[in-house]
Amino acid sequence: MALELKDEILIPAPRDVVYAALNDTAMLKAAIPGCEELLRHSETDLEAKVVLKIGPIKARFGGKVVLDQSGAPGSFSLTGEGSGGVAGFAKGGAVVTLEDRGAETLLSYNATADVGGKIAQLGNRLIAGTAKKLADQFFASFAAAVTAAEAPAADETA
Amino acid sequence: MNDLSHDQRVAGLKGLGSSRKRVEDARFTQGKGNYVDDIKMPDMLFGDFVRSQYAHARIRSVDTSKAVALPGVIAVLQAADLAPLGLHWMPTLAGDKQMVLADGKVLFQGQEIAFVIAEDRYICADAIELIEVEYEELPVVVDPFKALQPGAPVLREDLAGQTKGAHGERIHHNHIFRWEVGDKEGTEAVVAGADVVAEEMVYYHRTHPCPLETCGCVASMDKINGKLTLWGTFQAPHVVRTVASLLSGIPESSIRVVSPDIGGGFGNKVGVYPGYVCAIVASIVTGRPVKWIEDRMDNLMATAFARDYWMQGKIAATAEGKITGLWCHVTADHGAFDACADPTKFPAGFFSICTGSYDIPVAYVGVDGVYTNKAPGGVAYRCSFRVTEAAYFIERMIEVLAIKLGMDSAELRRINFIRKEQFPYQSALGWEYDSGDYHTAWDKALNAVGYDALRAEQAQRVADFKAGKTRSLMGIGLSFFTEIVGAGPVKNCDILGMGMFDSCEIRIHPTGSALARLGTISQGQGHATTFAQILATETGIPADQITIEEGDTDTAPYGLGTYGSRSTPVAGAATAMAGRKIRAKAQMIAAYLLEVHDNDLEWDVDRFVVKGVPERFKTMKEIAYAAYNQAIPGLEPGLEAVSYYDPPNMTYPFGAYICVMDIDADTGVADIRSFYALDDCGTRINPMIIEGQVHGGATEAFAIAMGQEIAYDEMGNCMTGTLMDFFLPTAWETPHYTTDFTETPSPHHPIGAKGVGESPNVGGVPAFSNAVHDAFRPFGLTQSHMPHDHWRIWRIANQLGLHG
Repeated sequence: MALELKDEILIPAPRDVVYAALNDTAMLKAAIPGCEELLRHSETDLEAKVVLKIGPIKARFGGKVVLDQSGAPGSFSLTGEGSGGVAGFAKGGAVVTLEDRGAETLLSYNATADVGGKIAQLGNRLIAGTAKKLADQFFASFAAAVTAAEAPAADETA
Repeated sequence: MNDLSHDQRVAGLKGLGSSRKRVEDARFTQGKGNYVDDIKMPDMLFGDFVRSQYAHARIRSVDTSKAVALPGVIAVLQAADLAPLGLHWMPTLAGDKQMVLADGKVLFQGQEIAFVIAEDRYICADAIELIEVEYEELPVVVDPFKALQPGAPVLREDLAGQTKGAHGERIHHNHIFRWEVGDKEGTEAVVAGADVVAEEMVYYHRTHPCPLETCGCVASMDKINGKLTLWGTFQAPHVVRTVASLLSGIPESSIRVVSPDIGGGFGNKVGVYPGYVCAIVASIVTGRPVKWIEDRMDNLMATAFARDYWMQGKIAATAEGKITGLWCHVTADHGAFDACADPTKFPAGFFSICTGSYDIPVAYVGVDGVYTNKAPGGVAYRCSFRVTEAAYFIERMIEVLAIKLGMDSAELRRINFIRKEQFPYQSALGWEYDSGDYHTAWDKALNAVGYDALRAEQAQRVADFKAGKTRSLMGIGLSFFTEIVGAGPVKNCDILGMGMFDSCEIRIHPTGSALARLGTISQGQGHATTFAQILATETGIPADQITIEEGDTDTAPYGLGTYGSRSTPVAGAATAMAGRKIRAKAQMIAAYLLEVHDNDLEWDVDRFVVKGVPERFKTMKEIAYAAYNQAIPGLEPGLEAVSYYDPPNMTYPFGAYICVMDIDADTGVADIRSFYALDDCGTRINPMIIEGQVHGGATEAFAIAMGQEIAYDEMGNCMTGTLMDFFLPTAWETPHYTTDFTETPSPHHPIGAKGVGESPNVGGVPAFSNAVHDAFRPFGLTQSHMPHDHWRIWRIANQLGLHG
């Protein structure tokens, strides 16, 4: 089944910082819900292991992600595919655009995915909602992490 | 018994016509049924499948190393393990072959890739998660029309270059067969020259029998005595034994197949599935019993679906509405393998009954079977082979023609019915309808529902709707159907070469009770109740003292099983005939005991009486005792009989169904106000069981017409693999039914019975669907495909501009 997700979020950090964070594996790993492992094989090739729970299914998905940084720093895109064994599989891509908003950055994303196997079958009522929730979680954590990194002094004084 | 009146003795038998309570229900209602999953044996292992997540893919590798290392896992079977035995593929009932385990590629989501054998179900499930399958995705085709396009992906690479299939020429790499019946040129000439022609595409969507108990088996190979015992959800246990013997090389005498209580079949349990083959192999290899039981998702996505027929029709008529010809072409989506369960010579089953209840002078049917990336099947879900498709097609075409003619469709039916005096009637597509009285049934039905008043109410409702006084519409769904059941005559009906006779074996015990065994198997039909009633009337032994046994091939006589409403027409006939053999011998015994000639006796309910001397008689009970304790010159001791019955013709039950529905144009919610079902199933054995059958069949018809569906997305994901998405009506949704009957006995059946279990599904689906269509007819709707769930009904209203 085809899935489409779109949203935007305002991150209180300049665009360069946000862009750099999107390329920082440690930061991404911390922000991706259920991410157990995120390995960078090259500038553009990543490999991830993520535990996902959708409705009654909980599975460990292994996947490959290829980044396209040609639009830096205004945009950033990725394609990937992952398999969760008996739970099914997914493949898709996302385009992220970053707009300067003074000291802040407006991050918009447009993601599409084809989902197959048991998650598509069992989860077809839940999958869109779950995907949206995971995306929200990711960007919320990501924004928080970027913000925290931007204000190290505040952290130190805390 | 001497002081009982004739009528009291008849009543005491609980024979034909008695609403005897079902003897099965004592165990079913008290939780004492014995289903396949209830079977537990010492040392029993459990097997389950790794199934494909993809609808079409090449299998690059299957890594089982982690699974095999898991404690409690005994083995993992793959195609390569079965290949040396020739069991990685198996023959289907339709003359095709099917992969038991994926041989290089998978062709539908849920296809079996590997079979894990473990100490219990939980370990099995854990092991399945540890198996890594590497797929190479291939393009998916879920639309049969796209499958037949020139550049369509090749699905069945194993058939490459084969231009002939089991049913003749293949015209495309995804084509299975073309089957044609009737007069094509003659029909096309009539259509070309007709006053009026109505043309429509009628789609009968893909659905699933969804029995409460899923498919499964327990295979137990006893290596000491070389005997294989197989308990399973089999609607045709003897056929399974024959297939198991042919596949394994084990003699049939060393295979025992047992169907215990089966929690519903509805066609889903006719076929042979990879799970059976793998469980048998696993038991042979391990020397331990192996159980395989599907879960609900497995059942819905992998074992036999039903329908998926795209029926293009043209119906020609005079300006007055007299039908002059019927043309039909079907694109039949069979999924990845042709595993349709039809008599061998009928690749589209009895679809050619599609001229229905009407006297149509010329007709033509062509059916093209097509492979797609969907699960295999195409079984007769609570109907005789493809008969519900045929009935839905003609009953929609009648409505479409009525719209074209501007006629009332009740009247259109009436002027085209085959008349009573035309029976036996030879249909344009080659069937001999044995008997019928359609006009009487139709008039009775229309009167019973107050048809004219309903139409007047509907006209007022439409006026009110247009005036903005109501948002509710009213539909009157008419359906008149003729079934063709009781397959069938050995001369033209067989399954894998086995003629479709059936059988009954009777033993009368010395004290006058009896045991009868049949080649059929009840899945809820109540055979133990009704077959005893047939025998009670034939032999004079009370039904309560007759035990019926079925389903164990070691004891039951060979029979072709239960599906297609064949049990009563075929095995019921065998029962009556075997009962008559018992009575013939009983007459000789009575004559000896009474010291008269055989011809001086006459049968009276439960005894032979000397003609003209009513006080001189011998009851069946006395005769039975004499059969075992007297030396009767010229007669063997004992009182037993066997009958193998080859029916001379099918039987043709018919009926008139009328559904009245109120539809909320804004929400699409359809409220079934009333559902009237008149069935003529010939002689009525047990009216209470008939009523139960009608309720059950009509409820499944309601499900199919109003929401039940196996749907795929464009990637071939089965989107309705659970009961959250697959509509199974509960008491909450199920409408109330009013049942009625006429009784036109079959002239060729020993007791005149025709079969009823499937009629309500065949007649019910068009009744519900026609009601939806009828509600929107005044606003311009001609055809909208099933299922009519709320959103689709809402969409009809929306597309007709009824939402303002």
